[in-house]
Amino acid sequence: MVLKIFFPQCCNRADSGLLVGRWISGHDSAVVLAVIHYPFIPGQVKQYIQQMQAQSGVELSVLGSWSLPKEGQEGMESFLRDLSTIFPQERWLQIKRQMGKTGFTCEILNRDQSGKAAQQDSIKKKKKVKIEEDYQHDDSDNKKQQEKKKEKIEEDDQHDDSDNKKKQEKKKEEEEGEEEEKVIFVHYEQRKVMLSQLHPIENGVPDPKTEPPSELRQVFQTVARSQPLFFLDRYDDGPLKSTHWQSEGREASIIMELLKQASVPLCLLISWLLSVWTWICNVRIFSLYPLRFLSSKLSTCVQLSYRTEHLRTLSSAKPATGHTEFMRKSNILVSFLIDVALGLLLISWLYRDDHIRMLANTLVPAADHVAKELEELLQWLMGAPAGLKMNRALDQVLGRFFLYHIHLWISYIHLMSPFIEGILWYGGLSACLGLTFALSLLSDMVALLTFHIYCFYVYGARLYCLKIYGLSSLWRLFRGKKWNVLRQRVDSCSYDLDQLFIGTLLFTILLFLLPTTALYYLVFTLLRLGVVLFQGILHLSVDFINSFPLFAMGLRICRSYRLGGISHFHIVHHTIFVQQMSFKVTLKQRRSSTISFCLQCIKLHREVNVL
Amino acid sequence: MGQRRRSAVKAPSSPSVSAAGEVARVPHKKHKICMVSDFFYPNMGGVESHIYQLSQCLIEKGHKVVIATHAYGRRKGVRYLTNGLKVYYLPLQVMYNQSTSTTVFHSLPLLRCVFVREGITVVHAHSSFSAMAHDALFHAKTMGLNTVFTDHSLFGFADVSSVLTNKLLTVSLCDTNHIVCVSYTSKENTVLRAALNPEIVSVIPNAVDPTDFTPDPSQRQDDTITIVVISRLVYRKGTDLLGGIIPELCLKHPDLHFLIGGEGPKRIVLEEVREKYQLHDRVRLLGALEHKDVRGVLVQGHIFLNTSLTEAFCMAIVEGASCGLQVVSTRVGGIPEVLPDDLITLCEPTVRSLCAGLETVIAKQRSGSVPSPASIHAKVRNLYTWRNVAERTEKVYDRVAGEEVLPLDRRLQRLRTHCGPVAGSIFALFAVMDFLFVLLLQWLVPDRFMDMAVDATGPQGLWRQEKSRKDSAIN
Amino acid sequence: MGPDGAPGPSVPWQKVLWERQPFPDNYVDQRFLEELRRNEGIRQYRYWTVVKEAGFVGQQLSCVAIFISLWLYMEQGLLSPETLLWSSLVCALLGYGLYQSLSSQVESGCEPRTRLADLQSAAIFLSFTFGFSPVLKTLTESVSTDTVYAMSAIMLLAHLVSFPYTHPSPPGSLSLNAALFASVCLASRLPGALHTFAMLSCALMVFALWPCLLQRVRDIAPTHFTGVCLGVCVGGVGGLGLQSPGGAVLLALALGSVTLLCPLLLVRLQRHKDNIQGPWDEAEIHEDLDHGRGT
Repeated sequence: MVLKIFFPQCCNRADSGLLVGRWISGHDSAVVLAVIHYPFIPGQVKQYIQQMQAQSGVELSVLGSWSLPKEGQEGMESFLRDLSTIFPQERWLQIKRQMGKTGFTCEILNRDQSGKAAQQDSIKKKKKVKIEEDYQHDDSDNKKQQEKKKEKIEEDDQHDDSDNKKKQEKKKEEEEGEEEEKVIFVHYEQRKVMLSQLHPIENGVPDPKTEPPSELRQVFQTVARSQPLFFLDRYDDGPLKSTHWQSEGREASIIMELLKQASVPLCLLISWLLSVWTWICNVRIFSLYPLRFLSSKLSTCVQLSYRTEHLRTLSSAKPATGHTEFMRKSNILVSFLIDVALGLLLISWLYRDDHIRMLANTLVPAADHVAKELEELLQWLMGAPAGLKMNRALDQVLGRFFLYHIHLWISYIHLMSPFIEGILWYGGLSACLGLTFALSLLSDMVALLTFHIYCFYVYGARLYCLKIYGLSSLWRLFRGKKWNVLRQRVDSCSYDLDQLFIGTLLFTILLFLLPTTALYYLVFTLLRLGVVLFQGILHLSVDFINSFPLFAMGLRICRSYRLGGISHFHIVHHTIFVQQMSFKVTLKQRRSSTISFCLQCIKLHREVNVL
Repeated sequence: MGQRRRSAVKAPSSPSVSAAGEVARVPHKKHKICMVSDFFYPNMGGVESHIYQLSQCLIEKGHKVVIATHAYGRRKGVRYLTNGLKVYYLPLQVMYNQSTSTTVFHSLPLLRCVFVREGITVVHAHSSFSAMAHDALFHAKTMGLNTVFTDHSLFGFADVSSVLTNKLLTVSLCDTNHIVCVSYTSKENTVLRAALNPEIVSVIPNAVDPTDFTPDPSQRQDDTITIVVISRLVYRKGTDLLGGIIPELCLKHPDLHFLIGGEGPKRIVLEEVREKYQLHDRVRLLGALEHKDVRGVLVQGHIFLNTSLTEAFCMAIVEGASCGLQVVSTRVGGIPEVLPDDLITLCEPTVRSLCAGLETVIAKQRSGSVPSPASIHAKVRNLYTWRNVAERTEKVYDRVAGEEVLPLDRRLQRLRTHCGPVAGSIFALFAVMDFLFVLLLQWLVPDRFMDMAVDATGPQGLWRQEKSRKDSAIN
Repeated sequence: MGPDGAPGPSVPWQKVLWERQPFPDNYVDQRFLEELRRNEGIRQYRYWTVVKEAGFVGQQLSCVAIFISLWLYMEQGLLSPETLLWSSLVCALLGYGLYQSLSSQVESGCEPRTRLADLQSAAIFLSFTFGFSPVLKTLTESVSTDTVYAMSAIMLLAHLVSFPYTHPSPPGSLSLNAALFASVCLASRLPGALHTFAMLSCALMVFALWPCLLQRVRDIAPTHFTGVCLGVCVGGVGGLGLQSPGGAVLLALALGSVTLLCPLLLVRLQRHKDNIQGPWDEAEIHEDLDHGRGT
């Protein structure tokens, strides 16, 4: 069995003191979280640790001692070893480092003082360290006891203080007769590990009761949850001083804190406004059929409800429960802010230099022009378009019908023309709600201005559809067949004489009129397609602004570890890079335990993986 | 191509044979047989099970058997089935109804490879619907191998399509050494269709594994009478007749139930009848049945009904009788030859006649004057066994091995005289081209450079040796 | 019992499979193919009967010719639409009377149509044709004349091919529709709406009503049927002859080959028929399996 010690890199140069951390139950490993510096008063340390334990919910304990003797601090070692009596632990780690040397030395003292040093010298290759067992646990103390101990390891952490049990506690591997114990010393970067949000394990994994979560997962959790421990600042004038990861941007975090405080009333205000808005929306008159239908068709209304939903999510009193939730919220916030900023830019352009008036003045002639073009198109269709032989009578009828429509449309536009500038002016204001609103409004206006094209398309399509439907059923009649609705197939059928006669008459008529209708349908479908294409581009850009995960992108670029990009676990001089599915092990002696550890890293890395 | 055959026969497996053609009927001669057909497992049906069971029994008798068929989906290459039965799934394009398309020539390289590698002496093709079987016959004759063909189906003479297929059959069979038919009616039909000498046509019926079809009267419901029908629901199986019988009998006998297994385009006919006469509780349509489930359905009934309009040899009625059911069937094709009169009631293929036949059987069933299922099973059990089929087929092989394969000139002559001037000439040309193609292939890859396959079955079969070694090790 | 096994012909051979018989598998008995039957149920045709039957085909051909010649007359203004309408009306009334008188002799038919229904049908025909005739007139205006002729020719051919010559009484859908389609195409080329109306009503009579009457005549009075057919044929040739003598010659040739030459061929070739039947044939279902029995 191997003992693994996870050691934060930031503590490499810490002053001598106590190691605070956690033994990970079920696994033979320890996580060092901080170093409390000498001098300290043991009582205060105990109190502090209890306090932290209550805040973070992590079973913190004093793991052992850390010594980095500076000049004139000789004799420290024995003192630190004596500390183990003050902080009763089953095992006491003594990690030493010599100034000016790169190696670490680790000794493990068992509670009963019988343990001997387990040395690890990392300058040379990893060395197996014999643990001399003075205290031979009687071999006859059989497996029953072993079983008991396995269970006790679990309880171990909870009853840290109760000393009397500890005496019996022995790690099982010692009893298994292997008298050597290895220590793997793993460096980790505390900040990254703390901030890496582990994704919850997927359903395939059995529930934690039957199988405790993997070791690395526990490491991550421990570090992440013991955040309160890191609030103790370097400059605080407390009774204790400690080394651990510390936020560099103190001032920024103060601003953040202030912002957080300020956002509470803002959120309240927004949610109140929203509730008023919702109430208005829910007034019965709005849920009447035509209005409801209209609002589902107008993209401005759709965008409005979309934004309302966003704001509701943002201003809700509940904090984000998981990482995904948090990411979603922040994405919404960022896209909202960007949207509003772009909208304000647009406004500043619109209302400068009277751009509105210019727009309005070009809009009416443009609509006129479109109508004129359409008229010409219809005239062309009513002749012999592209040399096609159309049925003259039907051609005339259809052409006149559509021409009348265009006439209606032009008079409508002219009726509207005095108001268009006002409409544009007020519509432009909506851009202050965001660029998306302005775009949606534009899309709606385009839809309204090309309503005649839509009408033409609908008439043409309806006529064509009717004709095709009639022709297909009359063709079946022509062949003496009919469609059996119940069986969903064509059956043969004997028709009456008059049915046949009328059917054939209609079939002939429809067949000869088909080219005319088809041509009208084709032309108007193409027109409609153009409009739909333009609207589609508008909607696409609106959706792009609405749902592009800008925050996540920024995070990915600036702080990729927040999305679980890369975490380095650094076995002292045996480096493991865990990167997207690939790993590199530079071990001369590939011990199975080390490799299994690497594999664990990789497995974990998949769990850590991005979003 | 006679030398090719001789070299194959001279394999060390048969020391008793000095030269082929002289010793006609040596009882212990072992053959190397290649069964060729488009229809084989995973497809299921009469032909498929015939090939499989016959092969198994021949292997048991010490012959070497390999099967060549076309690839079924992802099942391609070489597979081994029970007792080392080797199956070549050749990558040939399937055209229609699991039958390959034929261009006469494109299958030659593959089939030649199989025949040479396995040292085949007899090529046994199955089913006249299988293009691959005809191709194999054609190539085998070109390569100088003996050929046997088994016809499993009947064919009329009335319509245009049958005129064409009959012509093709004539061409294909005119120089085939021996033909096997499954019933006397089938023999008459084949002799007429292919204009054959009846002396080279043997009748070897199909068989049924009696252990698979044992009666179980406890499965029956005694307060009702159940009529079982198991067939594909297609026109040729007389589903329309069944649709006429059901309402007529159900109206007369309120305790009559129908149990219908099988699937097909005519299912709609039965569903219509069921809806029209409100017989949902009495007519059960079970849909497609797997072969292993057939017995479970059969034993639930008292009477087995077969309404086929044409049938070479009806295995279904043998299965029904083997399960102890009273069998009522139409008198068509080879059906009258299959079961003795005390086991079957034959009717004309009309609704009226079938109803009358069924009514007499129902009356007998009510009066209890029918023999017990066990006694019927005992009678049927030994009528048709695969072992018997294999014995008789073996004799066909023995005879065929003693015959000579027509050399090319006589083959051409025979084609010309036997198949009419037009078709005969065309196929004579094909035969010449095939011959040239074989020569080309032999020049490209000479036979002696081809890998000989390891025998899984046959006298030197490794499969059996290993198995016996294992057995001895156990003992 | 393999092929050529030891013969032991003391027992007679049986055509059964269930018994192991002391004969080789390839044994050929005297009774081999004894159930073979040749040309069973073959019909022997007599020449004049066939000619009579073929007369129906000839008269249908002539009907088409009559219709075409009527159209030619109309197109060239030799026949006014009023005349055609009146004569059609008279013909229709006469035909209807004949039809009714013939049906009263028969007293069969599952559900006799009432006079009211007939009147209703007639009203529908006339009103629809009349109402649509202006539309129909403009229908093919922009289509070129060649296209219209080609289409009509194809449709009339389809009518002749698909005509149910054995049971023309409920006229076959495809044949009637094809003929009507062709007549609409042709009628739309005529100069006026009334022309179109007259032509269409005429087409209705020729293609829809006339076969019904003829069928009845064939059923009731077969002797007169031949005369009627002959009359129609002569009328067709004569009518066409006045407009295009070449067409009339062609028609006469066609009629001759259909009614005289083809039956001759049929009767001659019948001798060479050699049909084999036997137990292997697929049984035919003769009964009416309409599932309509019982209840």
